[in-house]
Amino acid sequence: MTEFLSTLPGGIVTGAVYALLAMGLVFTYKATRVPNFAYGALAALVAFFHYSIVTGRHVGFHINVLFVHLNVGWTLRLPFWGAVFVSLAFAAVAGLVIERFIMRPFARAPMVTHILVTLGLMLLVSALAQQWFGANDLIVPNNQAIFPRTSAFALGSVKVSWEQVGVIGLVLAFGAILYWFFRYTETGLAIRAAATDRDVASLQGVSVRQLSLISWVGGTMTAGLAGIMLASLVVSSNPGTLVLLSIKGFAAAIVGGMVSFPIAVVAGFAIGIVGEIVRHYSAHANSTIFVGADEIVTLGAVVVVLALRPRWIFKGIREDEDAGVLARSAGVDLAIGRWIDPVEAYRLWRASTGGLVSPAVWAWIKRVFPFVLGALALVFPFLPLPAFWTFPLNLSFIYLLVVLSYVVLVGWLGQISLALGAFLAVGGAGAAIGANTLHLPFPLPIVTGVLLSIPVSILVGLPALRLRGLHFAVVTLAFALVAERAIVPHFAGTANLLVKPSYLSSDRPLYYVFLALTVITFAFAARISRTKTGRAFRAVRDSETVASAYGIQPTRTKLTGFVVSGAIAALAGTMVAYELGSVQTGYASVLFSITWLAYAVVAGITSLAGPLIAAAIFGLLPALSQGEVHAAKISHWPEVTAAALLITIMAFNPQGLASMARFLRTRVSAHEEEPDEDLRAIEAAASVERPKVGAPA
Amino acid sequence: MILEIDDVRLAFGGVHALDGATFSVGEGQIVGIIGPNGAGKTTLFDCISGFRRPDSGRIVFDERVDLVSRPAHDRVVLGIGRLFQQAKLWPSVSVRDIIRTAQHRSIRAGFFRSVLGFAEASERRASEQADEALELVGLSAHADKPAMELSTGMLRLCEIAAIVSVRPRLLLLDEPSSGIAQKETEALLPLLRRLRDTLDATVLVIEHDMPLVMGLADRIVAMAEGRVIADGTPAQVQVHPEVLQSYLGTRAASA
Repeated sequence: MTEFLSTLPGGIVTGAVYALLAMGLVFTYKATRVPNFAYGALAALVAFFHYSIVTGRHVGFHINVLFVHLNVGWTLRLPFWGAVFVSLAFAAVAGLVIERFIMRPFARAPMVTHILVTLGLMLLVSALAQQWFGANDLIVPNNQAIFPRTSAFALGSVKVSWEQVGVIGLVLAFGAILYWFFRYTETGLAIRAAATDRDVASLQGVSVRQLSLISWVGGTMTAGLAGIMLASLVVSSNPGTLVLLSIKGFAAAIVGGMVSFPIAVVAGFAIGIVGEIVRHYSAHANSTIFVGADEIVTLGAVVVVLALRPRWIFKGIREDEDAGVLARSAGVDLAIGRWIDPVEAYRLWRASTGGLVSPAVWAWIKRVFPFVLGALALVFPFLPLPAFWTFPLNLSFIYLLVVLSYVVLVGWLGQISLALGAFLAVGGAGAAIGANTLHLPFPLPIVTGVLLSIPVSILVGLPALRLRGLHFAVVTLAFALVAERAIVPHFAGTANLLVKPSYLSSDRPLYYVFLALTVITFAFAARISRTKTGRAFRAVRDSETVASAYGIQPTRTKLTGFVVSGAIAALAGTMVAYELGSVQTGYASVLFSITWLAYAVVAGITSLAGPLIAAAIFGLLPALSQGEVHAAKISHWPEVTAAALLITIMAFNPQGLASMARFLRTRVSAHEEEPDEDLRAIEAAASVERPKVGAPA
Repeated sequence: MILEIDDVRLAFGGVHALDGATFSVGEGQIVGIIGPNGAGKTTLFDCISGFRRPDSGRIVFDERVDLVSRPAHDRVVLGIGRLFQQAKLWPSVSVRDIIRTAQHRSIRAGFFRSVLGFAEASERRASEQADEALELVGLSAHADKPAMELSTGMLRLCEIAAIVSVRPRLLLLDEPSSGIAQKETEALLPLLRRLRDTLDATVLVIEHDMPLVMGLADRIVAMAEGRVIADGTPAQVQVHPEVLQSYLGTRAASA
């Protein structure tokens, strides 16, 4: 009993921080209807900013774009609470800038767009944080803790520290202020009104734009405060871990339907307390089997709650019917639209201007190009290239498949999953099981890796695909976190090196194995796209209702796409295992998934050329340009660039992915509706006599 | 009777969208459904096509199939097709691919069989059907355009081509004239007649345009507040006192 009680203070205090994060998320969602996936990244950014001021650390700024290297730096030092003041001011400015310059164009965008944009923002903020504050862990020593870590009092043998008391007190105080704000201030009431009905609220004279500003500033400051506390509580952290921890805050908020403060707070505490108890007992069991058990239990519980679909959750969240495209209303007409999907853009440009070459020549180029590329790929390892090229080249096959996996799921099927990295982990784990545990000969571990992903896809996909949009994204996010914490530790590291035949120990044979696997997978994907499955994917993406009217089963179709995309990612995971020896945390992480989602959208998410462009620009080019020192200092500018591009692209296409092509087309053809065109067409169709179509089948 | 609707009820909160709607449709008829906004016409269509589940009541297709218990995607296999109110299709899919997609269920091959090329014959048949159906409505020239580039009228034609290609026995048309100009509505009448003759299908049509529905239908069912208030030939319904009161008003006299 005492042992059980001893876990409580720790559980309550982490729960309090999750509750605080959840409150900030609900705050923003209520006023703006935006699920802020960048929340954890903002918390991490402010926390790092804060402790860098407290430490008086030299804040370095490295610009490392392709071939340009630049260093700027300064030193600043403040006492803890002074720094809190400055940090929260910094958070407020960050919130202001984000609302004003990033979020405003998306005020009435569909949910899918909001998810993509805030994911882009998350990537942008966390990449900037890592660029500014380095990849080193942030360690908060005792003299910099938010409150003294000395024992405040003891209940029996259970010791409670001042830090724990203080954090709980701060969160409670914050909750009280929030309660007062929503209950008694005019702005608070206005936000509640806007949460119920934006249009009615604005007719009543509520400025929705002003509310959006207030909520972003307030929400970012809450994130900052939570980040500062969280960093102190966990003692050692990096931007990645803070982002991951804040996913728990997101989980709590979504259990509260994104609008209920009380449920979100209770859920936050519950996640914290249950997680701490499970962690304590699984560590006590002193077995590595239980690594990550707390994540499985807490996030599993969230998924179960979501799958049960209690009314309170779905009452608050807007269900954008048919996820992707809804409005046929005119959008923004801007030249940047041409950059959305380069391949599509070229095709349309060619259609309108005749292009650079005649259609016959173009058809010939298209026929010959794959062979040229194939021949080049075959002889590539024998070309006189710098030796360090072989490694990035092999990695680029992995990136090709990663982006292909997104093309299938996001581009064709219209579902945003954040579990891509998790499937890489599953693939790597499957290969390790095949090679090390079952002692299978070489090509078979790849098969076991891919096969293992299928039951996992079904297990995750079945509950997740009953949900749409935001809920689907959050469930896949939960799974990604579970994979990162519970699967990867068992298979990563030098102790778990993949047993592989000696002829695969160098990069060149692996290059040919990867080339063959990639070509086969792309051919497979091209077949899917051209046959009934691919057509069903696009039908479900554009409208589930119409799809089911024509006999397509949306859930089954989505599950098929989820399994295919998971299998492609798992294949990439087995390749990671063969190239690097084991599943690497860097490839199995949530951040990796989001980064490559941004790259995929920027390079072209609907065509098979997208993966080629993404792997070349974001995989190969940075690695090659940084030369042999590439591993020494990781530059985050590719992420920053891609995230900024992603947000820009979405800004010009607020209606979502599926409408991208439309913007291009209207841009190119400037289609003017002729009033009589319809009439003539209908009359023609009605008057022409044609033989009867055969009898019903 | 190809379709029997028996005491169908559906409430949203306190609003009774369908409040005991009852009527049946015989094979080969064209039945027009009229009624003021909120009469429950589209909700009834949603129940027949499986997008909503009635709280109570029976919907029987072909005298033996209980539609209430069947999922929406079974309808096309049973032989029930639907044209949506806003000519909803798949905006980014090309016209030819829309028709091919519509024949999803006629390609009887699973995922691997179709991807590995064991269903090429039926894939080809689907393409041929698509070209045939496009020819029928005169959209062949626009086959490669995505649906979102078509005007509303052409979108209608494209939808009609999609429906023709799946050859339904019962066709649900939800306001075929909506979004189309008056002149074109007049041209729509012979087209819809021809559609029925081509398919040999039973047609259920919701329509606000009185001349169109009166000219098209063999029989009119008038609805108000979720119930059937009149049922008979166009001439009978046009003079039915309850219909005049609830819907047609003075327009009936001039029509």
